[in-house]
Amino acid sequence: MTARLRTLLSDLGRMLQALSGMMFLSVVVGLVWGEYYVVPGFLLSGGLALGIGWSFTRFGERAELGKLHGMMIAASGWLLVALFGSLPFLFVAWTVHLAPSWLAVPASVDTPTLAAFRGPINSVFESMSGFTGTGLTMTTHENELPHALQWWRSFTEWVGGVGVIVLTTAILSRPGSGSLTLYESEARSKKIHPSIVSTVRTIWWIFLLFTFVSISLLWLAGMPVWDAINHGMTGLSTGGFSITDDSIATYQSPLIEFALVPIMILGSIAFPVHYLMLQGDLHNIYRDLQTRWVFIYFSAGSVGLAALLQQYGTYDSLFQSVRFGLFQFVSAASCTGFQTAEIGETWPPLSQLTVAFGMFVGASAGSTVGGIKLIRLLTLGKGTAHRISEIFYPSSAIRRFEIDGRILSAVELAREFEEAAIITLLWLVLLAVGIVGLLLLIPPGFTLENVVFEVASAQGNVGLSTGITGPTMALPAKILLVFNMWVGRLEIIPVLVLLRAVLVRGDRP
Amino acid sequence: MIRIPTEFPLLRSLSRAGNWERGYEILILCGPVVIVAIALLGRSLLTTALTAGYVLAFVSYLLWNALGS
Repeated sequence: MTARLRTLLSDLGRMLQALSGMMFLSVVVGLVWGEYYVVPGFLLSGGLALGIGWSFTRFGERAELGKLHGMMIAASGWLLVALFGSLPFLFVAWTVHLAPSWLAVPASVDTPTLAAFRGPINSVFESMSGFTGTGLTMTTHENELPHALQWWRSFTEWVGGVGVIVLTTAILSRPGSGSLTLYESEARSKKIHPSIVSTVRTIWWIFLLFTFVSISLLWLAGMPVWDAINHGMTGLSTGGFSITDDSIATYQSPLIEFALVPIMILGSIAFPVHYLMLQGDLHNIYRDLQTRWVFIYFSAGSVGLAALLQQYGTYDSLFQSVRFGLFQFVSAASCTGFQTAEIGETWPPLSQLTVAFGMFVGASAGSTVGGIKLIRLLTLGKGTAHRISEIFYPSSAIRRFEIDGRILSAVELAREFEEAAIITLLWLVLLAVGIVGLLLLIPPGFTLENVVFEVASAQGNVGLSTGITGPTMALPAKILLVFNMWVGRLEIIPVLVLLRAVLVRGDRP
Repeated sequence: MIRIPTEFPLLRSLSRAGNWERGYEILILCGPVVIVAIALLGRSLLTTALTAGYVLAFVSYLLWNALGS
């Protein structure tokens, strides 16, 4: 076993141990709700994750990490956590199916919704969707799930929202460990404190505070407390899992929808900016480039979408067009995926594509959103304009390029521009591959717009659906979307690095 | 500066773990209390006032910090 593989095993082991902690903690929810039949499933899942995690750390070895291994751990860690995170779905579904007499499983919980999780791929899909903060689901009636599994779905999104990798950098951290590499490979490069550990800790405190405020706000808006807890967690983490059958449309309440909009926006703003604003520097709302553009982009998109809905006469009144346009654009651009409208069935194609564009771009880097991120789009836009205008200046002219308050040298500009261009290109290529693949795998009846929407939703970690995703979907289509969710969360490059390392025997340049 | 009574071991360790603004730390500590209260007592004038007070306290502290900086 190579030294690098031992290092990889050590860190993956610690991630699994942290995951087992999440599973053991979730047992409490089953006990509180009197769902004793879920307890063995969660304990067994936690025991397996703990045992395998322990053996990984036993055979592994802690060492300094390079960028290559940081990326490999990010990609393999996310996959492994999603695989093990599927166990509670699988075990609880089989427990209910087998219904051992000593567990007194109520007959009412043996529903087709839960039965879908007896298929391992459905459980893995749900878990990957949760940990990547996507929100696409294999359930047909979320309200039929046991409360403990409803909680597990929300919990995976909540933890995944900040990042399993970021969580575990606190656990794995040691001096000179390359934690910063892990942190950067999860696309969070702005720093709160010089130390990565205290940065991650502060991010968790902020996240926890915002979660309590979100839950309180939703409850005040009229949501029942259990619903508020779950939607507060999944709304802030811009995950979008719901515990109700029709997502947020269930409540038919404009007040709840308007209360969710600021919660989703909170999740779309970079956490270092949150930190500064909480310290009293509220000027960052307009001073920080990304935050300023979050508001501009969300406002423009919502107005545009509402105008389209109004023009096509999708809704009876202007208020309804604004209500649904605002909520669905913010839900899409923040990559949350809460749904209040039947987008696939009732919305005109242009409106669907507007929402798909929102999902493709996303919001701030350093937040919990997916997509290519606004900063990359801005870098590409400003960089392209800079390159074109260069032609009009004499070759001796010294020009400055400024973005996000930073003046970049020619070399830095080339690097930033190149990175943004490569990620955007890879994003589009994988999107195209996913679209072609899904077109071949789905039954007739769905349009091209539907397919573009669904793949963009999976890869952007959004979770809005036109109805393609579901337990009856073909197995290869499920695997395809799982892959899209995985590469989307990690912004492609770490996954490609891992695949190359596996296929080309790891360490060779 | 708002201070957490750190003579209690649990509060002391929580306070050290946070190393952040004391006001926000208090809000984090009160959060679960508010949620348990609304879960156990249901929707009433008292719990509505408590929860609204919690949200208002957060907004007020945020603005207070902004004015003070």
